[in-house]
Amino acid sequence: MKNRKLVVIAGSAAVLAAAPLFLDAYWTDVLNNIGIYAVLALSLNLIVGHAGLFNLGHAAFYAVGAYTAAILNTTYHIPVLALLPVCGFTSGLFALLAARPIIHLRGDYLCIVTIGIGEIVRIALINNIFGITGGDNGIFGISRPSVFGYVIRSPQQFFYLIWIFAGITVILFHLLEYSRVGRALNYLREDEVAAEGSGIDTAHYKLVALVLGAAWAGMAGNIYAAKMSIISPGSFSFWESVLMFAIVILGGAGSIPGVLLGAFLIIGMPEVFRQFASARMLIFGAAMVAMMIFRTQGLLPARPRKYRLAGLPSGGVET
Amino acid sequence: MKKSVFLLLSICFAASAVLAAGPVKIGLMGPITGSWASEGQEMKQVLDVLVEELNAGGGVNGLKVQVMTEDDGGDPRTAALAAQRLATMDVTAVIGTYGSAITEATQNIYNETKIIQIVNGSTAIRLTEKGLKYFFRTCPRDDEQAKVAAGAIGKLGVKKLAILHDNSTYAKGLADETRGVLANEKGVEIVFFDSLTPKEQDYTTILTKMKAANPDFVFFTGYYGEAGLLLKQKREMGWDVSFMGGDATNNPDLVKAAGTDAATGFYFTSAPLPKDLPSKEAVEFVASFAKKYGNPPGSIYSVLAGDGFRVLTYAIAQTKTTDPDKLASYLYTELKDFPALSGKISFNEKGDRIGEVYKVYKINSEGEFILQP
Amino acid sequence: MHARELVSAAPGANAFVRIKDMELFAQQFTNGLAVGGVYALIALGYTMVYGVLKLINFAHSDLFTLGAYLGLTLITSWLFSGLGPLWGTALLALMVMGMIALMGALLDRVAYRPLRESPRLSAVVSALGASIFLQNAIMLIYGARNQVYPQNILPRMALSAFGFHIPLSRLLVLCASLAMMGALYFFIQKTRIGTAIRAAAIDQGAARLMGIDVNRVILMVFMIGPAMGGAAGLLVGLYYGQINFTMGWAYGSKAFTAAILGGIGNIPGAMVGGLLLGIIESLAAAYVSLAYKDAIAFLVLILILVLRPTGLLGERVAEKV
Repeated sequence: MKNRKLVVIAGSAAVLAAAPLFLDAYWTDVLNNIGIYAVLALSLNLIVGHAGLFNLGHAAFYAVGAYTAAILNTTYHIPVLALLPVCGFTSGLFALLAARPIIHLRGDYLCIVTIGIGEIVRIALINNIFGITGGDNGIFGISRPSVFGYVIRSPQQFFYLIWIFAGITVILFHLLEYSRVGRALNYLREDEVAAEGSGIDTAHYKLVALVLGAAWAGMAGNIYAAKMSIISPGSFSFWESVLMFAIVILGGAGSIPGVLLGAFLIIGMPEVFRQFASARMLIFGAAMVAMMIFRTQGLLPARPRKYRLAGLPSGGVET
Repeated sequence: MKKSVFLLLSICFAASAVLAAGPVKIGLMGPITGSWASEGQEMKQVLDVLVEELNAGGGVNGLKVQVMTEDDGGDPRTAALAAQRLATMDVTAVIGTYGSAITEATQNIYNETKIIQIVNGSTAIRLTEKGLKYFFRTCPRDDEQAKVAAGAIGKLGVKKLAILHDNSTYAKGLADETRGVLANEKGVEIVFFDSLTPKEQDYTTILTKMKAANPDFVFFTGYYGEAGLLLKQKREMGWDVSFMGGDATNNPDLVKAAGTDAATGFYFTSAPLPKDLPSKEAVEFVASFAKKYGNPPGSIYSVLAGDGFRVLTYAIAQTKTTDPDKLASYLYTELKDFPALSGKISFNEKGDRIGEVYKVYKINSEGEFILQP
Repeated sequence: MHARELVSAAPGANAFVRIKDMELFAQQFTNGLAVGGVYALIALGYTMVYGVLKLINFAHSDLFTLGAYLGLTLITSWLFSGLGPLWGTALLALMVMGMIALMGALLDRVAYRPLRESPRLSAVVSALGASIFLQNAIMLIYGARNQVYPQNILPRMALSAFGFHIPLSRLLVLCASLAMMGALYFFIQKTRIGTAIRAAAIDQGAARLMGIDVNRVILMVFMIGPAMGGAAGLLVGLYYGQINFTMGWAYGSKAFTAAILGGIGNIPGAMVGGLLLGIIESLAAAYVSLAYKDAIAFLVLILILVLRPTGLLGERVAEKV
């Protein structure tokens, strides 16, 4: 069973790695977009899927990371990739400051507050807050990332940067799932009251999930800024948050392979449907509803956790 | 599942590459969906009319012309993908798009793949300050319109001016530029400079606030939808100050939205309306468009897209080639005073359109747009 | 004589300035009130659905938009060419509300009913998908350009007193909103069905035990709420004149904020929240910042939630155990 899983993973990784070799620039770029959204969705998955917090303002964290990279790069000429941890830090810090007062709010209230945060960030960006965000025009001239002198410029080159980053994200998040924090989050999502009763500080762990998820979104923002070389507030609207949220739910909240598949479908679908021009989004909306009705738990839902109990013949008990 | 999708895609791609080499392909990148859908869809309509006529007349250089439309969704990321897609389709050039931030996301892609880009609706100055060889625009820049607007304001003897924009790249750019030009001019004091939120309906709060600042003239640099509402609500308030708008307010729907009474006396700066051009082409074009779609084109930017198309196909016909370097060079140096729908077109060394494009219009009591001297 | 003229003749510039400031404040206050009336009508739809189902009906704002467009189609059709403004508008309102009520029921049937037993997250995504679908459907059917209502329906006069200036039509809009809200309040408080709705909102299980047909209640909620929203759309179309397929988003997010402000699930709360939000927005725009007014509205929301999480009038929601 485990072997089969490894084979599937290795196989898909191999196909993915070889993809830029026989796809044109456009489809490679589509895969790039999918990659960035995959990372974003994975970061949101931590918040929504693992901690069970309705977050419809994730684009705000994405934006903070992207703008941090853009501003620091264009003003101080610091190489973009070196700013990755900085972007993660600023997004995480922003999430901490914004979420701390509201973390105890109940689910749907938290949802509307996250929408509010997303909108506040977007409006602040458009209005050129503190004079550094460039207003609706945004910031341009962000330099290309370079790794030891090798400049990454073409879609094919970006492909490897993005997907290696995505791969690292998947591995790290997978490890997190089975760590102490991951178990606490899982427990928290299943039953908050019981978790509190077991001594888990739910507010603390929710905050941890939010900050981590935000930090990762911030780093994704950094890569996005480097790829587009221009960023503007239009890329960080409520619609973007909806998109990321949809990927997580459609794929299967709490499930890493589910989220990856969700990213492929949600970002890839409108591109495949390009020839339908103006009906593109109509079909997308209908598809979202249909997917929810016919497969509520998502396409590849999170499997219940299995733990091996020593001494038992059947090899596992489900929790 | 992923594997077979890739395989299928590669086969399709290979097949399409083989089947190519035929018509001259020109790309259209515009907001077919999203908040600017009305602009993008009209751009496509304009090009459809033009390409039909062109092909009916034999095409260009004996070949038919095909327009490949890609949706940029009014969003930079989708636009970049649209640009990538067009770049793989063997297009000679691309017309579009609308919105400076969106155009900017695609500039490098077209430049690197040597595809000529003729923009119809992006007026931010910095787009042509980057030295891109294949980038042109048929729409003038914010600074040109600002000069004309400031001139008109001065001529009207305005002492206290209010400037209102909607925070979009275009509107804020025009507002800033106008403020800059007027700063050098003594006698015009700017008593109010702020923005409204577009796509809303109730602007009474803003109008009340503006009124309290007591301007004797208002310059609104946003779009016709909001302008119409502003005029209507201002009239309801009983405030009779004069308003002027930029070229984005040039749209017959403005009068519909405001009501003829409220719209009377409204000024705006714009490229000459097709009805004011004596040229046969403009008159004929507006007629064909109206015949096909039931109403004349509403937006000046879609007409500018049409001009981009005509300039391009003319250049291809004249140079007898679709080579981007030759075409670019032709457009820079040899295209002079081309009779476009919006006036005469020539390009300067930056790719900007040369010439005094903007005129001032005023709406009369019948709701008609009258050219001012 | 007009109040302002009297005042300007009086000695003491200070008095003049103060009264002028007050006039300005009063004017901005009333500006916000009318907008708030529309928010309140739309908020009712959100709050009713949320109260009973704990679902944020994202597609509600698009039903509002649809109401405006349907109103346009009807008003420009042959049906209305002969009718006078009073009867014509009344009939129009009834037809639009009826049609949108049906759409609301249909929306529930297609997008939400299959997900009744599913996790709430799925219903949220379905709601978002339905919203996207509806918005784009409106765009495809009616076109992406702004559409304009005929201008001659609402009266053109205005009232001027003590520095206020209110167009009569704006006053009519406010009164119509208040009247509809009053009717709904009466319905909810005094009729059996209304009581059933309130009961289901407090505890669905207990309501069932009392013999209340909860499915019927849900159907009612999905008809009345959207009908209010559709009526709001019609009002907006008639008064402002210009409608656009994207207008649902701005109104919707404000209306939902208003619903939470007043206490989600609480019907009078939605009314109060709507009016209050309109006023807050207008005053914030007038006195703090035009550009940031929407951000301020959201900030106010966050503040209220931090300080008084159940909203101003307290929430009434179903507790799903």
